[in-house]
Amino acid sequence: MEKILLKKALPQWVKALASYTVYSPKKDKEESWNYAEIDHEDFDPNFLNTTLPPKKILFPQKEIFLEFSKTAEGSQETLEVKEVLPEKKAAVIFGVRPCDARAAWLLDKVFSGEFTDPYYWIRRNQTTLVGLACDAPPSENCFCLSVEGSPFSEEGLDVLLTDLGDRYLVKSLTEKGEKLIQAAKHHFHDPKPEDRKKVKAIQAESVKKIKRQLKDARAVSSKLKGSFESPLWDEESMSCIRCGICTYLCPSCHCFDINDEVESASPLKGNRVRTWDTCQFPDFTMHSSGHNPRPEKASRLRQRLFHKFQYFVETYGQFQCVGCGRCISLCPVGIDIIKVLDKVNKHGS
Amino acid sequence: MAKIEDLKEEAKKLLREGKVKYIIGYGVGSNGWMANPVFVKKPEDVDALVWDPTCVHNLTRFLVDEKRRKGKEKQPDTRPVGIIVKGCDSRAIVVLLQEKFIDRKDVYILGVSCEKAGVVDEKKLAKKLAGKKPSQIELGDKDQFIISTAEGKTEVPVAEILAERCLECKANFPVIFDLMSGDKTKRTPEKPFGSIEQTEALSPEERWNFWKTELDKCIRCYACRSVCPMCYCDECVVDSINMAVAADTTAEEKSEKIKWIQRSPESSENFVYHMVRAIHLGGRCIDCGECERACPLDIPLRFLNKKLEKEAKELFGYEVGFDVSQPALISCFKDSDPEDFIR
Repeated sequence: MEKILLKKALPQWVKALASYTVYSPKKDKEESWNYAEIDHEDFDPNFLNTTLPPKKILFPQKEIFLEFSKTAEGSQETLEVKEVLPEKKAAVIFGVRPCDARAAWLLDKVFSGEFTDPYYWIRRNQTTLVGLACDAPPSENCFCLSVEGSPFSEEGLDVLLTDLGDRYLVKSLTEKGEKLIQAAKHHFHDPKPEDRKKVKAIQAESVKKIKRQLKDARAVSSKLKGSFESPLWDEESMSCIRCGICTYLCPSCHCFDINDEVESASPLKGNRVRTWDTCQFPDFTMHSSGHNPRPEKASRLRQRLFHKFQYFVETYGQFQCVGCGRCISLCPVGIDIIKVLDKVNKHGS
Repeated sequence: MAKIEDLKEEAKKLLREGKVKYIIGYGVGSNGWMANPVFVKKPEDVDALVWDPTCVHNLTRFLVDEKRRKGKEKQPDTRPVGIIVKGCDSRAIVVLLQEKFIDRKDVYILGVSCEKAGVVDEKKLAKKLAGKKPSQIELGDKDQFIISTAEGKTEVPVAEILAERCLECKANFPVIFDLMSGDKTKRTPEKPFGSIEQTEALSPEERWNFWKTELDKCIRCYACRSVCPMCYCDECVVDSINMAVAADTTAEEKSEKIKWIQRSPESSENFVYHMVRAIHLGGRCIDCGECERACPLDIPLRFLNKKLEKEAKELFGYEVGFDVSQPALISCFKDSDPEDFIR
């Protein structure tokens, strides 16, 4: 369903969502954008790519699975284990870029299937994603078109807004999205044919504004296989400093570690916690024997690209990269996934 | 004025004669203007090298990789590696030599002087250009940067977009080198510790709140540690496996290893991480500012290191990275040291 919402009525819409925790990108004092809780008047549609994607809300860096504690009464010791699930609280994220929403759609695949991850799904089901189509790329390294996305893709979103100047065209895509509109329905009205025409024009323009391109991603995907032993990985990873930026800030990277974090040893008390982990850290693959199957940074860079462009494609038929460009923009040494994959493409031919 | 041609000529010669294994330098990044580290192995590739005010990286960090790589080879190539260094970076080499982490014969140092300028701060530059994209940045001869954009050239006074550390730099030319390009232009910063005045003036409570807000942002990607040439430990307390495990390490030994820090990005854990790092850099940090530049969450890490640099100077008269023969601050004492209990 498509509706029109005047921009000046948006704060009223947000106000009507009092039962939700509302997040949107906010500019900090360093002029970087990041998701934070907002008041009804705070939404700024001109945001650039946030440093951390909305992944941090759907799949937080720290998730407590259970609490454990030991109590002693005389010689009787009892170990108590209590399951902890995410707090039930409806949330809405205003201003999700279509690429980041596509990443959530990819995470949906990862966290379902043979095992359904209750922690992820509680958060995912109680969070409504309100996307904002990109009329201009929010980062100079945007390349969503190359990985089968677009500046107005709808996968993963509940609502998609298109900025028409003084108004938004509001398209609800799911029941969750519909409910959000119903919460302030008197502010929405039906679009006129010229509104729809304008959306089409904006979309056609936005596609043209994307500068960066990964050529023939599907071909790269099949060529990766033959490049496993290539010296290319050594060369391309020479400048890698083995930090976690490219993966932690990636909207679709989802690897994690689970640890028992002890708060007190006596009496025993602590939590079993899931935290983000990354294939870029040397200890990610360290075996307890001391053997590390991915000892060099070359094998770790290769793993990141193989996972995104080959293994994930084999398993789910999709790239595990949405072209947001964060790993390029924020890499301290300028490792550029597009450039590396272009070399793979040439290498294979 | 520092010229890349001088360095290129030398680099070509070194590679042609096989005197160095490869050269660590700066090349143009994929956005066409920002420099990035490059590794030049063949004389014909030397033309990829650039020198301009976007050469922000401290390349000495790659000497740590080189040493590790060499350590794993059965018959290592013992030739030195060539490396391009600025003044600050050269002082990192001094520390690595002082700590005997590397040997002088392991490196062939191609120094460049920043002269009256230094490197740009990408954020300040972006703000200045207000949306315009640079295509090239050069240093002019009137203390200005000349920035080319699609809309034409803009001149900006050096001081306006210089990296903070460069504004406080006291040795803007290499202190150790085999070949140097550019002049040893002396520059005395007005306030060598000016950047930390604001945090020093805070009350303990305000300071706590300041650091809590900043460090709560930390996602522990460890970019600050990874980019630092001084963070070369094989074992680091923050890693989940923080011991060198060998085939004969028993399960008991592994289980008994103390876990100093939890993986959860909580205030307490983030504080421990950053305090441990700052303390370990006391008397070692040469203020290349790489940790702060690499941080994706804009945590002002330089303040911590600068404060310790100031303490070392004021308490022990110690300045980092100027003298290879000087014993390291934390491994020596003098009778004149202010701590009475040492006597």
